[in-house]
Amino acid sequence: MIKQYQTDFTQKNLQFLLVDHKGLVLECEPSFLPIAKGDSIVEFHPFFECLEALNALPDPEFSFHCVHLTIQDHSYITDIQVLRNKKGLLILVQNQTDHYNNYQGVAQARNESIINEELIVLKNNELEERERFKNLFIQNFSHELRNPLMSSMAIAQVLGNTALTPEQKQLLEVLRDSNGHLNSLLEDTLSLSMISSGKLEIRNAVFDFEKLLGLLAFTYTTRSKAKGLTFIFTVDKRVPLMVEGDRLRLFQILTNLLDNAIKYTTTGSVSLRVDLNNQYANTANIHFVVSDTGPGIPIDKHGTIYESFSQLDTPYKDQGTGLGLALVKGLLNLMGSEIQLESSLDKGSVFSFDLGLKVPLTTSAHPAQSSKPKVDILKMGVAGKKYKLLLVEDDERVLTVLFKILMDTKRFYIDVLNDGGLVLESVIQNNYDLILMDINLPNTSGDQLTKIIRDFPFKNIKQLPIVGMTANAYETHMKAYKEAGMNAVLAKPFEQDELLTTLFSVLR
Amino acid sequence: MQKSKKVVILGHFGVGKTSLIRRFVTDQFSDTYKVTIGVHITKKMVNLTSEDTISLILWDLEGTDTLEQIRDAYLLGTHGVVFVFDVSRPSTFQDVRTDLKIIARKVPERPLLVVGNKTDLVAEEILAQQLKAHDIPYDYLTSAKTGNTVEDVFIDLANLLHNND
Repeated sequence: MIKQYQTDFTQKNLQFLLVDHKGLVLECEPSFLPIAKGDSIVEFHPFFECLEALNALPDPEFSFHCVHLTIQDHSYITDIQVLRNKKGLLILVQNQTDHYNNYQGVAQARNESIINEELIVLKNNELEERERFKNLFIQNFSHELRNPLMSSMAIAQVLGNTALTPEQKQLLEVLRDSNGHLNSLLEDTLSLSMISSGKLEIRNAVFDFEKLLGLLAFTYTTRSKAKGLTFIFTVDKRVPLMVEGDRLRLFQILTNLLDNAIKYTTTGSVSLRVDLNNQYANTANIHFVVSDTGPGIPIDKHGTIYESFSQLDTPYKDQGTGLGLALVKGLLNLMGSEIQLESSLDKGSVFSFDLGLKVPLTTSAHPAQSSKPKVDILKMGVAGKKYKLLLVEDDERVLTVLFKILMDTKRFYIDVLNDGGLVLESVIQNNYDLILMDINLPNTSGDQLTKIIRDFPFKNIKQLPIVGMTANAYETHMKAYKEAGMNAVLAKPFEQDELLTTLFSVLR
Repeated sequence: MQKSKKVVILGHFGVGKTSLIRRFVTDQFSDTYKVTIGVHITKKMVNLTSEDTISLILWDLEGTDTLEQIRDAYLLGTHGVVFVFDVSRPSTFQDVRTDLKIIARKVPERPLLVVGNKTDLVAEEILAQQLKAHDIPYDYLTSAKTGNTVEDVFIDLANLLHNND
């Protein structure tokens, strides 16, 4: 029985062939390959064509594993052994089809897994590169927008100081509103890009919380009225008056939520409610709620409305950038909080979040109410003294409006340059009280000039107050400019009051 | 006059060696990736001139992680080599100079063509940057999917083998 099995197995799986040097079959036992004595083996498969080359090699024996042979429409996977013989070559072909077919699945899974992993990494790298490019583009674009916006804001300011007819005043208000709107869009876009690239830092400082809420109440009461809506503003009396947090970012969050509420609501009301959840030691947990009676947000859209450029399909779809809620979500995440939404179609929307804010122990009392102090230019610095100022700016539009603003104060003698390469010579030859210069100047940048000036051996030059101006309003850049030795840095666009207050604050 | 030449197709796994041969021999392409294990051998006649033809016996070797892993027996009697890499997967070409040294050691003094395959998957500009960045010494860029430049590779090699005699 064993012998029979052995015979069957051999006949099915082993083929012995003796061939001469030209490939003619000299001896052959019948087996799985349809080859007979007298056949030319090279005609059966191109593998055998290559055996002739083995005659030139010194080795007595050759082994070829896993050779695929297709002969007369039958496919086999074989191991082939070739032994040199006096008469020619003895070829042993072993059918291993089942064995190798089992291995095929393993190899397939392994290779596919490695290739897929590689492709995922590549795809990920590509997406990261795209994201980096997008952020760089937004940052450069924002930078380019700052100078013209700065000019426009400053011109509006200058115009406001002239005698205007009521109609001109109205037009000026429209211009100011547009400038303000453009400025917030610019800030929002830049902030979102900075969040995305991990560059945005939350900067906590003590600020007047009541005043911030008052400003929001005033602004949105006016805006709601203009649209025929009611603005409902409720503040828990226990909410601290002064808190420590990032005022600018909290303002961005609340204005974006309120802007959206007003944008989508056509009748009814928009509300802002601020409650104190709890206060332990010097930390207050505050609950903010912005709600509206607008069209509501379908539940299936709740997950996607926080994506950039996402807008609801409403008649107001084309208004705005679609970045607002993405920014709100990103900023709150940076502050360790999360936005919550309750809304469904025709039921309005309620956005809410909790924020932990520190309460400064020394300022628990309500600060004296005062409106923003009006800058009295005549009383700033040494009263009546005129200061010698070097103004360096290469953007002609910005230069023109800055020159006009500074001249109108009648507090400065002004020299003007538009090239960083000319600054040092002018500083040495003139006894300036102050330099106001752009950072991004031709030939030598403002921060480089500052470093050189700070290294001067003469005290009057070395200690010369320098105020920088930049459209690169990233925190890392602002910090670097100050480290270069600038006394203060103004981020474009800035208002007239901010400019003058800053200049006089650094004057000796 | 007709003669036969053994050509081995080498490269890392998944670079499209089998697809290149299939495109050249049968002018077909399949998007399905089937791993080659061992070796598949096919034959294709190439007319060099009206009188001269050459029979290329193409050994499609299984792809390996490194070329050191190739079974030496498969390379016995080799006349020419095609080394293939996948232009969309840097892992298959970033060590190309090492791979070529291994080939030169295992199959010395044989005509060799270096082919970047799957050009249909990468934008031309990006591809040029990649190849320049990695300083890849390639002879042909092909797409087995579109058939672009595939035949040129084998015709060129056939001529090299013919002239080498």
